[in-house]
Amino acid sequence: MSRIDTVNAVPAQGLNVVQASDVSAAELTLRADAVVIGSGAGGAVAAYELARKGLDVLILEAGPYVPSTEFSEDFNDSLERLYQDHGGQTNKEGDLLLLQGRCVGGSTVVNGCVSFRTPDFILEEWGEKFGLTNISPEAMRPWFERVEEHLSIKENGEHEIAMHSRLVRDGARKLGWSVKPFKRNIRECALTGHCLSGCKTDRKQSMLVTYLPWAMAHGARLHSDTRVTRILENGGRAVGVKAEVVGHDGIKVADMHVDADIVVLAAGAVQSPLLLQSSGLANRSGQVGKNFACHPSMYVAAKYPHEVYPWRGALLGVYVDEFLTPEKGGFILEAGGLGAVEMCLLNEPGSGKPFLQFMEEARYKSGIVTLIHDHNVGEIRWDNGRKVVDYKVADSDFPSMLAALKASAEIHFAAGAEKVFVPSVEKLEINSVDEIDTVLAKLENKPQRLRLVSYHPQGTLRMGADPANSVVAPHGETHDVKGLYVTDASLLPTSIIVNPQVTVYALASYISSEILKRT
Amino acid sequence: MAQNHDIPPALLGGFEPLSRRSLLRLTAVSGLALTTGCARMFGRRDAPEALTYVNMTEDEVRVVTRFTRAVLPTARHGLPDCIDEIPTIKNIDIMVGKMAPTQRELLALGLWVYEYRPMASFKFSRFSKLNDEKAHAYVVAMQEGAFFERGLTTTLKALVTLNYWRDSRTWQALDYWGPVTERWGVRRLGNAPLPMA
Repeated sequence: MSRIDTVNAVPAQGLNVVQASDVSAAELTLRADAVVIGSGAGGAVAAYELARKGLDVLILEAGPYVPSTEFSEDFNDSLERLYQDHGGQTNKEGDLLLLQGRCVGGSTVVNGCVSFRTPDFILEEWGEKFGLTNISPEAMRPWFERVEEHLSIKENGEHEIAMHSRLVRDGARKLGWSVKPFKRNIRECALTGHCLSGCKTDRKQSMLVTYLPWAMAHGARLHSDTRVTRILENGGRAVGVKAEVVGHDGIKVADMHVDADIVVLAAGAVQSPLLLQSSGLANRSGQVGKNFACHPSMYVAAKYPHEVYPWRGALLGVYVDEFLTPEKGGFILEAGGLGAVEMCLLNEPGSGKPFLQFMEEARYKSGIVTLIHDHNVGEIRWDNGRKVVDYKVADSDFPSMLAALKASAEIHFAAGAEKVFVPSVEKLEINSVDEIDTVLAKLENKPQRLRLVSYHPQGTLRMGADPANSVVAPHGETHDVKGLYVTDASLLPTSIIVNPQVTVYALASYISSEILKRT
Repeated sequence: MAQNHDIPPALLGGFEPLSRRSLLRLTAVSGLALTTGCARMFGRRDAPEALTYVNMTEDEVRVVTRFTRAVLPTARHGLPDCIDEIPTIKNIDIMVGKMAPTQRELLALGLWVYEYRPMASFKFSRFSKLNDEKAHAYVVAMQEGAFFERGLTTTLKALVTLNYWRDSRTWQALDYWGPVTERWGVRRLGNAPLPMA
């Protein structure tokens, strides 16, 4: 291993990224101590933690480098430029949209900044069922504290709780339910409401403005537009990767070969298992790509008798955790804002006059995002060269979906809403508390019934002590291939109900310390 | 059905021969996805009467136009007209030009289904030839129909409505503020300082 002791200054803005447009050779051969695949939550943190201890780190990101100066605050444009499959990644049934960032910084660039620690009962369950006693709540506490300090994570102030979130808080309080301000990784939020299109003024503490520039200050190199096609192994040990550099026009610019003693896989819970499958590695258990979960979400909108302006103010203000534990339902409800353009996608108010009326009344709307503790019933795999996200809401999870819908409707009505729009494909509206059960009884767990969005893919390379039923060992290295580590949400052996970014940051920090112990 | 020699007769009475997988994929790839293909058209200001459609066939333009009128009767609501003022159809046409061949093929299939599906229940009329009232009734019926009909209608609605409301001229009626950072002059914070540990 080489040791880099020089620490450079962090640039005031932007990153010095090698992009496809910078590459002139048809073949590139590089050498690093550690090659990190992906620059999102898991990859950026690992890159920094390894680089600051002197390792020569190379980060490869499949997506483009889009500096924040180029963010447009236009969600349609952002989907095309910053999201996986231009925002069109779905399950094979086509009724669940799977939104993931695909750019330098990954999903941390386009998320809503919500920062939860992994619930204690989840970590305890992992210890009991998967032998992960090394990441108990006590063991993980210092790692959570570390990333929270690094990322300026703090509770929303009252000024960061916009009208749409105050309504949800009022409703929950009237029902006697627990409701709390979110913690978010943001400095001096400008309250533009455009989080999902990237933060144009670098206030969101995404990897783009934190761990990546910090890693590069410690000597890490970052190549964008570079898609790893194969992880290389020799004698049961990872030895590097093969990759392609592809221009923004889709044309391959160069082949890349990287020699490295350590390979850190952090391409996200969809791409990481696909890469292992392509590489034919680490699948002695047969679990690579299995156990996919994703927190299938719905946006439950309501119309109020007064103006709300759901696009104004901080995107996410408060959450209801009354039902967090499985005994109480296993879901949380997040008060969420929404842009006017997106609004026409998430509900079905009817066609013609009712649709136009729905849009004209957009400023009277507020919404709640539901997240459930779904079972790991999905699978990610290749099918004739096509990526397949094979996931349907399990019948055993459908009652949780309905319970989350019902609780959302109750909150809206308690807060004074006139009408609640069921996020279904057909037009379903609830006009009073008394109608909730009757209307929701019309829903079935069948394709093209509900409008579902997932922001949290997870579980496809699950961590566990038993090599027979898990892919990754408790210290983050794959059971089968030495020197191959995983640091993204693929690790999570069960869904965690809450937004997973802090869980990934903390696990990546912990696993990096384990890598350093072994080098 | 004599007027449609190019249509496999079996399709007019049902959709069994249609690929369920293809229809699902159509739904999957469009919705949000396909509509983003013309993101760079955002803010287009061409006069609609000057627009020509180069990527959709005349038949497809007729179906999309009929669908847009049925879903967005903007003129009756004092909104910018969805055809004559906002280039909704042109936005979709440009998007179609950027589609991958498979997506393009699926869109064609979906529009073909929409065009000929009403023949059984609307006296052998194509969708594009229905009047406003009947076209609206058809869209509503499809929205409440079999799962692939629901998916197809949801997809087409997403295509049309996003390509209408993406135009900033439609925002005034919603009182939507759009991009704000530059207008407000918000200061950039830049990269965070290196942590102590």
